[in-house]
Amino acid sequence: MAEEKNTAVEVKQQIAENQQIIDQLNRQLARKNNEVRIIQQISSEITSTLDLDRILETILNAMDRVLGFQHAMILLKDKSADKLTVAAGRGYEHTTIGAEVAFGHGVVGVVAERKKMMRIGNIGASVRYLMAVRANLQEVGQQDLSNTTAKLPSLPNIQSQLAMPLLVKDRLIGVLVVESAKPNAFDELDEILLTIVANQAATAIDNARMYQMVEQLSRLKRFFSPQLAELILIGGTEDPLKTHRREVTVVFLDLRGFTMFAEQVEPEEVMGVLRDYHAEMGRLILEHEGTLERFTGDGMMIFFNDPVVVPNPAERALRMALAMRERVQELSKKWRKRGYDLALGIGIAQGYATIGAIGFEGRWDYGAIGTVTNLAARLCGEAKGEQILVSLRVAGEVEDLIEVEEVGLLTLKGFHKSIPAFNVLGMKSNA
Amino acid sequence: MISDRVVEAIHGPAVMFAGTRNERLYPAQTFVIGAIAHSDHETITFFIPESRSERILSDLNNNGRVALAVSLITHEAYQLKGVYLSSRPTDAKDQAVQEVYRSKLLSAFLRASYPEQIAKPLVLGFAYQPGIAITFRAEEIFLQTPGPEAGKKMN
Amino acid sequence: MGILSDEIKPAMQGVIPSHLVTCALDGTPNATVVSQVYYVDSNHVALSYQFFSKTIKNIRENPRALASVINPETFESWDLEIEYDHSETSGPVFDIMDMQIEAIASMTGMKGIFKLRAADIYRVISATKNVDERIPLSEIGSVSGTA
Repeated sequence: MAEEKNTAVEVKQQIAENQQIIDQLNRQLARKNNEVRIIQQISSEITSTLDLDRILETILNAMDRVLGFQHAMILLKDKSADKLTVAAGRGYEHTTIGAEVAFGHGVVGVVAERKKMMRIGNIGASVRYLMAVRANLQEVGQQDLSNTTAKLPSLPNIQSQLAMPLLVKDRLIGVLVVESAKPNAFDELDEILLTIVANQAATAIDNARMYQMVEQLSRLKRFFSPQLAELILIGGTEDPLKTHRREVTVVFLDLRGFTMFAEQVEPEEVMGVLRDYHAEMGRLILEHEGTLERFTGDGMMIFFNDPVVVPNPAERALRMALAMRERVQELSKKWRKRGYDLALGIGIAQGYATIGAIGFEGRWDYGAIGTVTNLAARLCGEAKGEQILVSLRVAGEVEDLIEVEEVGLLTLKGFHKSIPAFNVLGMKSNA
Repeated sequence: MISDRVVEAIHGPAVMFAGTRNERLYPAQTFVIGAIAHSDHETITFFIPESRSERILSDLNNNGRVALAVSLITHEAYQLKGVYLSSRPTDAKDQAVQEVYRSKLLSAFLRASYPEQIAKPLVLGFAYQPGIAITFRAEEIFLQTPGPEAGKKMN
Repeated sequence: MGILSDEIKPAMQGVIPSHLVTCALDGTPNATVVSQVYYVDSNHVALSYQFFSKTIKNIRENPRALASVINPETFESWDLEIEYDHSETSGPVFDIMDMQIEAIASMTGMKGIFKLRAADIYRVISATKNVDERIPLSEIGSVSGTA
């Protein structure tokens, strides 16, 4: 009888334990279902937009709200260099946006370099341990221990990190990282969840970035030649439309006799001449990779060393000017047969200018402003037909390449002192 | 020939554990909660929980070899290897030593910025009574601070 | 069904250092602290080989070791009887350990200096949870306490 009672008690205990196990499994299953459902929702949200900021915001928001990752960051890989920049963050007291992380530095840097995820839950203990090793190494005279002060963007008392590479095919787009001040904060389930988010995020971010680049390219193409626009985009230079200062070589050119010609000749013929002239000049500008800042009728302003920096702006300007002179000399033969008397005059100067987008909404131009542009314009004004007048500075830059004759000191409007000027006769025979 | 520094570490606040091995050269270990380095600078008595003593004492009675690891929170660490001499249950005097040790160890963890909710259970949560006091004579002392010099003999 | 359960995993994250005892062929035990015993699978663990040491020498002569790990939340400890199997200098286990070490080394100014030389893989022979060791949290009020 006692035995039966014992068995009954044991069976009851067993049922209670089984029920506990079933409850736990159900909870785990419910958690998994919930999280998978919500991840699907995040995915559809982020793949339906091309706005990069919105994508990043959506990801971090959902990761916090739904999955409980309160501290998270998304870093994007720099276009050309092996480094990442924080593009979005959530749960940090001070903004980390803009902070840079080099490949191979810290958890994020190593994940970027190896293109594999990493989960670590003992950062404090590990750092303490390695600092002890470091002290030991210093004592035995170890060389090339580097400074530890390079700060990484992170929680102040960070203990756990889970970092995921964002990959499209095998290409690294960036890194997604979640952090915690608690040790062991993340487990294998977190790895799985984050892998799913990361896969979707990588594609969405890549598409948005592509779209951004296409947008930027078409915007740049309004100002620059297609090759130049692409060069600017790929080169990853600073946005040239942002106002900046640079030393440039400026070339002004116009046709002597154009005003009288335009008054006397039929408009269609004037347009015809201009068309030929522009076509030829335009081709030469593109060939020498100059930036056409403006053209008004027969006048043009071109500069070198912006938006793309080149090692020899003065030389390029000279070569272009000489080619232009030669080309217009040929055109002039044709024009003279029709009775038009037109000749090219060119002025070239070098110096600092302030450069950027000038204008207003709906009508922007890429412009350069400074003494150098005035000087080049005045030199052009002083140039007789088929003269290329250059400033002392420019003459100095290219003295090994060209033959010049002194034109003397010129009094130019807007300049207090007289300006020495030189006329370019041609290339030196050995140039 | 146990240096003053090592004596100081043994008396706290270092985390300690002891290692032994059986006749088949299979190792065993136990946490050590408190120890006394005797004035002869050769013998040490360390205290282990009785719940762990069966295997340890069996090993010591079999071959008498013992290793005591002593690590400070700063990772400064030593290892003493030697020969088993005797054992007995801990008495009130031993327990008093243990309580001083535990309080020193707790302070050290708190000073090293471990939060109280971790330091307290970690340090004070080991059942140390009833305990066994094990005495051995140290024959070799090694520096064990992590790094390329770890394992260097000191005596 | 392997020997290491999910329950032990938090103890293998290196939050609290582990104890390792090895034994030389001459019978002398060697007791050291290791920063982390890595979970490989339910029947294997790994230790990182950075500096050549007595531990490594012992293991190469006598592959049996004892590793004691502590759960950083419950503070329960486990004794793992393990036996050295082989070393890896590449592969998924090595990579995981190597990446962690590289990350922390770079954060402590030791990039390229402190590196993982190999991942030593051990078979788990037994895992024993030490159940009589803890004083319940509620009883840890003052400094003294009994089991």
